[in-house]
Parts: sequence; structure tokens; C-alpha cells
Amino acid sequence: MSENAYSDAKALDLLNELERILESNPLIDEVGFVHPSLFSTLKEAAGSSASSQDISEHENTNFWIRDHKLGISTQVLLPLYKAAKHAFMAALREYKTSENLPGNSVDDSLESEVMSHSKALLMLSCDFGTAWNSRKFIVLKKQLLPMFIDELLLSALILSYAPKSERAWSHRRWVIHTISGNSILQQIIEGESELVEKIAERSKMNYRAWNHRCWLVSYMTREQVLHQLEKSRNWASLHIADSSCFHYRRRLMLRIFEDFCHTQADHSSDYNFKIYNIWKDELDWNAALIKRYVGREALWLHRRFLSSYWIRHIATDLHVVSYQFDFGSFIDHELCLLDSCSTIPDDDFEDFQAQAIHSATYIVWLTKQIPEPQRIDIQEKLRARDLNRLLNTACPERSSLWDCLVGAEASSQV
Amino acid sequence: MIKNKRLGTEKSRDKGLGFGESRDERWLWMSGVVDDVEDPIPKIKRLPVADHHLSSPPKKPPSPHSPLSACLMGELAADKHVKYIISIEKKKDSFESVVMEHLRMSGAYWGLTTLDLLGKLEAVDKEEVISWLMQCQHESGGFAGNIGHDPHILYTLSAVQVLALFDKLDVLDIDKVSNYISGLQNEDGSFAGDIWGEVDTRFSYIAVCCLSILHRSDKIDVDKAVNYIVSCKNLDGGFGCTPGGESHAGQIFCCVGALAITGALHHVDKDLLGWWLCERQVKSGGLNGRPEKLPDVCYSWWVLSSLIMIDRVHWISKEKLVKYILDCQDLENGGISDRPDDAVDVFHTYFGVAGLSLLEYPGLKAIDPAYALPDDVVKRIFFGK
Repeated sequence: MSENAYSDAKALDLLNELERILESNPLIDEVGFVHPSLFSTLKEAAGSSASSQDISEHENTNFWIRDHKLGISTQVLLPLYKAAKHAFMAALREYKTSENLPGNSVDDSLESEVMSHSKALLMLSCDFGTAWNSRKFIVLKKQLLPMFIDELLLSALILSYAPKSERAWSHRRWVIHTISGNSILQQIIEGESELVEKIAERSKMNYRAWNHRCWLVSYMTREQVLHQLEKSRNWASLHIADSSCFHYRRRLMLRIFEDFCHTQADHSSDYNFKIYNIWKDELDWNAALIKRYVGREALWLHRRFLSSYWIRHIATDLHVVSYQFDFGSFIDHELCLLDSCSTIPDDDFEDFQAQAIHSATYIVWLTKQIPEPQRIDIQEKLRARDLNRLLNTACPERSSLWDCLVGAEASSQV
Repeated sequence: MIKNKRLGTEKSRDKGLGFGESRDERWLWMSGVVDDVEDPIPKIKRLPVADHHLSSPPKKPPSPHSPLSACLMGELAADKHVKYIISIEKKKDSFESVVMEHLRMSGAYWGLTTLDLLGKLEAVDKEEVISWLMQCQHESGGFAGNIGHDPHILYTLSAVQVLALFDKLDVLDIDKVSNYISGLQNEDGSFAGDIWGEVDTRFSYIAVCCLSILHRSDKIDVDKAVNYIVSCKNLDGGFGCTPGGESHAGQIFCCVGALAITGALHHVDKDLLGWWLCERQVKSGGLNGRPEKLPDVCYSWWVLSSLIMIDRVHWISKEKLVKYILDCQDLENGGISDRPDDAVDVFHTYFGVAGLSLLEYPGLKAIDPAYALPDDVVKRIFFGK
């Protein structure tokens, strides 16, 4: 590879250039790696509207910067990484040595060296934990709020090219946890949710991103939780295959219910009614999505949660005055959904087959979740439908599971 | 691959060094890099697309030494995989490999365990590995992913596992290592990954597993550790990173593994969890790690080992899974990838081979589903030679 041709001195020049760019453009919010053949295309595209001087300033084929976007040529990644790592490790060693000296008088310039080299290194290797750690160490020592905020910005920048970087996400949690006593916290929490949504838009089903958002829930106020539930609904209906977003909603709903249980003393029937409605709305909305988007696993799994929690807690623990839980009609409604979803048209389109399996397994799930006395009722109603046959026809590869789940019951009824 | 990047087009990324690929999706979940794959477009095409049509599966599970491969398309290219693993160490001067140097300790564990399962551990220079490994130990007792890096519980387990493979645990100052691990336990029973405090049930597994191997489980509060793991259980039967976190097959392995090692599997609703896990098998026979995701060879390990530990492995089609893993081999140059025809890496090679071992594929050593070490190594640790 041509990277090998780079001498140490040339590689160091590259590193200096990258660090200079990062320092003189603190607003860079996105970074990416670009094949050299695309540099000219990028420049041409930019040329027509070129008014800023930064194009001529970086008239080379190594870096490209415009509108706060930084491109790094794939051709220089290896020498650049080597130079950045070498410079970072050397600076860190020196810094640690001076830290351990009596009197503890660390030179500020050493600190800024560690900070700038670690930043350059993380641009190239997002999960280089030692680089993240060195920053934590220095920021913690300084205890300056703007420095903490800068760490959130750096992490967001890294996530722009590596949206699943575990270290970058974890760094955010460290910052938030460390400054959680500060009044700025609630503002940050709002911003975090927006960041996750932005990243989840580009990086589908990103477990780390959604996990971060779930983690934030424990820092939210009751109002924020309600607001998030409302806000994430639209996103979810546009991304119905993203199971993580539905899990996030489950997390929010459980937190609402937990709050309710912990404040039993002061809850009014208004609040009961609110919770009741939240659940009811979610069930209705989910059924509408199921009918609109055929065969989506995430939607059916969400329904499993909603129904079982509904039966076991919401409908029984909440004492909504104007409401008498009618178990029979709830089950009838669910069976109706099963019937409308379990017919496979003649053309045997795969989605309909998936829908049939999901609806049948959903009902089996429900049967298992229902307390003993009511279970007999639903089993009675299911007998006419021959679920076992449906499952074994639509999804023969799981026959041993069906035998275990449905078969045992079917035979016990005989 | 990152979609919708604003910098450069989709094409520009494809022309690159595949930079996004290693960090973004294929790498390691256990070792700190998420392996969550959803991009349906294979990154680097390898061989002509294999035929994926499957006839209806046989109903009977295979007996251990039935000529399993006879009813399958391919066979395990064991020699090629050995060559591939050994070659990785020699290809150190590409950006893709240097950028992974911070987790070299885990790489060593994957590569060496694969070799051992294939019966070829002697192909590497044991002393050389151990000498390098011991240079990764930090004064705190924890191990780093490579020389000069900060220690982390992730790499501490990998280091202990590698030493166990070589029957060289005696080179360790056992108390020092176990003090490092027990020092990471929090008041609520959870474990931090290092001094910076990130909490995750993966770290609970690592602590429990590592201390068990070192015979020092008494150094932590096991009851609290178990209670914390149980607090991460979801209504679907699965487990997440922290309480309220989404169920993920990798986290489930860690939680079930830790509960198995501590003798606390009664906390698991086996039918419920088994149901969720077997729903991970998709039409091609491969397993995914979460609902709506594409299958990936590494879940052959996470899902399968969990199913075995809770005794529900008969709920999936083993034959189809064997075939799926074999379809992901690079028959020319060795190695296994996440999905058929993608580029191979050591991580997926390990999980593919380990999965086949759990499926009792002929010619492979058996692997322990909780300790993720060959059975004979586990026996040696607990029962002497």
C-alpha cells in the first residue's frame, strides 16, 4: 500500500495539519473518510459556491473542510494513525511522569498536548479507550463546566462517523453522571434525546444509541418522561421495524407506572385515568400499525408487552372509578385481531405468512400470561381455531416449540 | 457501513478502506465494540452467491456423530481456518488491523480458542504469547488490550482465558488479579468495567467467570451480583445492559452465563427466555441478536450457548444453523464471516467454530457454554489434570 511510503516526518506533518484544522475549526460537527479520487469531485461541487478561504487554505488531497464537515483522505489514514498514536502515547507518558513528581506542578502545555493528540487519535480510532480515559482524567482535574460540555461535543463528532462506538457513548454517560448535580442537567438530557434520534435516523436499529436513551430515563423528570413518550411516537410510526424505539417507549411507560406506584399516597384519580389512557392509546395505536404494516415482528412484540402488562397491572391495580375491566371483551378484541391477521391469501405473500405466525404466537403468548381462572376461558375460545395446525403449517421449523407450548395444552384439554 | 452520510456518497465509502466496517458493525460486542449488523448490503463480496434454498428440515435432531455433513452442502474447512488464524498476526500493517490494536488481547483469545477447538493450539509459540500478555498487565492487577494501554475488565478476562488455554494460570499473581476485579463491584452488586465506572451486565459476567476460573469467587458479594443481574431481566424473559435496558442476545448470554456459574439459573424463566431466543432463528437458518435484525454468525454463539444452558436448544433447527455457519466460510482463504459472502474476520471465525462445537460438529473439541473455553480446559481448572 502507498501508505508505507510516508516517512515519519511526513506523517508528523499530517498530524500537525489535522490538529491545526481541528483547533481552528471548533465547530466541526461531522467527520468522514473519503477516497482520494473523490476529492476533486468534492472540490468541484464546492467550487461553484466557493466564497470562503478555507478551500484554498487546505488545497491538498489529504483533508477537505467545508461547512463544518471534515473529510480525511483514506490514503493517509495509516500514517496519520501511527503518528497520532505515537504522539499521544508519548505525551501521556510524560504527563503521567510529571503528575507523579512531588509538588505536582504539571505544565499546562503538557495537558493541552494530551488533549489535542487524543482528539486527533479518536478521529481515527473511535474506541481507543486509553485516549478517552486520558481526557476524563484531565477534565475531572480541571472541574470546568465548559470542558465537560466540550467532551459532549467531541463525543458527538466521533459518533458522526462511528455511531456505534461504545466508548463514545460511554464517555457521554460519564460526563452526564459527573455533572448531574449541576442545574444544566435537564437541558442536557433534552439535547441527548435529540442526538440519539438524529443518530438513529442514520444508523438503523442502533442498540448503543437507544440504550443510551433508555439510560437517560432515570435522570428525567416526570414531565420529561411524558413529553418523551409523546415525542417519540411519531418517530416510531415512521420506523416500525426499529424494535429499539418501541423498547424505549416500554421503558418510558414502565417508569410512569413506577412513579405511580411509589407515590400511591398522593395520586389522584386524574393521574390514574391518565395512566389508563396512556396504555389504552398505545394498544389502539399499535393495533392500527399492525394492520397497516403487515408482518412486522417489532409491532407484535410490543403488543405482547402491552397486553400482558395491561392484564396483570393496569386493568387491575389502577382503580379508575368510571371503569370496570371487562376481561372477556378484551380477549374477544384480541381474538378478533388474530382472526383478521391469520388468513394467508392465496398468493402466499411472505409478509402475510409472517403476520399469521406473529398473530398466532401472540395469542399463545397471551394465553401463557393470563392468570389461571381466565386462561380456561381463552383456551375455550381458541379451541375452534386450531392454532396448533396454523403454527405448524406456517412455521414448521419451530414445530418442537409449538408442540411444547400449544401441544401440551391441547392434549390436556382432551 | 454508515448510511446517509453527508460527507461523500455511498460510493465514496465503498471505495474507502472499509473503515466504517470494522468499527461500525462487525466488531466485537463482548470486547467493547458493538457487533450489530443491519446493513443488508454485503460489504465485500467474496465468492459467487451460494444457493440458499433449503428443503424442509429433518425433524430428528442429529446425533453427535451422525454423518451430519453428508446432508449438508459443505464441510468445515478446518485446515484453511487454521492457516487464516495464523496469518492474521503477520498482516499487521494495514489500517484495518492497526486500528484494532487496542483490543488485541481479545483478538488473541478468539484466535487461540479457535485453534484449540480445531486441535491446533501447538501451532503458536506459547512463550511468545505469554511474554507479550504479561506485559499488558497494569500495576492495578487488571489487563489492558495491548501494551501501554489502560486496563479494563474485558481484557482481564481475555488474558485469564488465554492463560487457561495454555495451562499457565500459575504465572499470575492470582490475588492481585482478583482484587482488581472485586474492586470493581458496586454497592448494588453491579460491576464497573474499569475505574471510570461504566456499568454493564457484561462486566458482571466477566467478574463472575474470571473469579470462578481463579477460584476466588469468595472475593465478591455473589448474592448481590446475582440480584443485580436479575434486576436487568425484562418482561420478554431476556436481559439488558442495565435495569430497563433492551434485551439483546449478547447480554442474555452474559446474564445466563453468570447465573449458570453462580448456580442461580432458577431466576430464569426458561420457557419464556427460550421462546424469545428461538425466535432469533430466521428462515436461512442463521440467528439474529434482536427482533427484526439480519442473522449473523456470532449469534450462533450467544443464542445457542444460552439455549443450551437453559436446556431449550431443541427448540431451534440445529441442521439449518450448521448449514448457515458453513455457508459463511471463505473456502478459498479460510475464515468465517457474519453472513455468506461477506469478508471474514477472526471474531466471526471464532464464533462460527465455537457454534459448530456446541452443535457437536464432528472433529471439533467440545466447548463449555458458560466459560467459553474448551471442555477439557474447564475440567482441568476445576478437577485438576
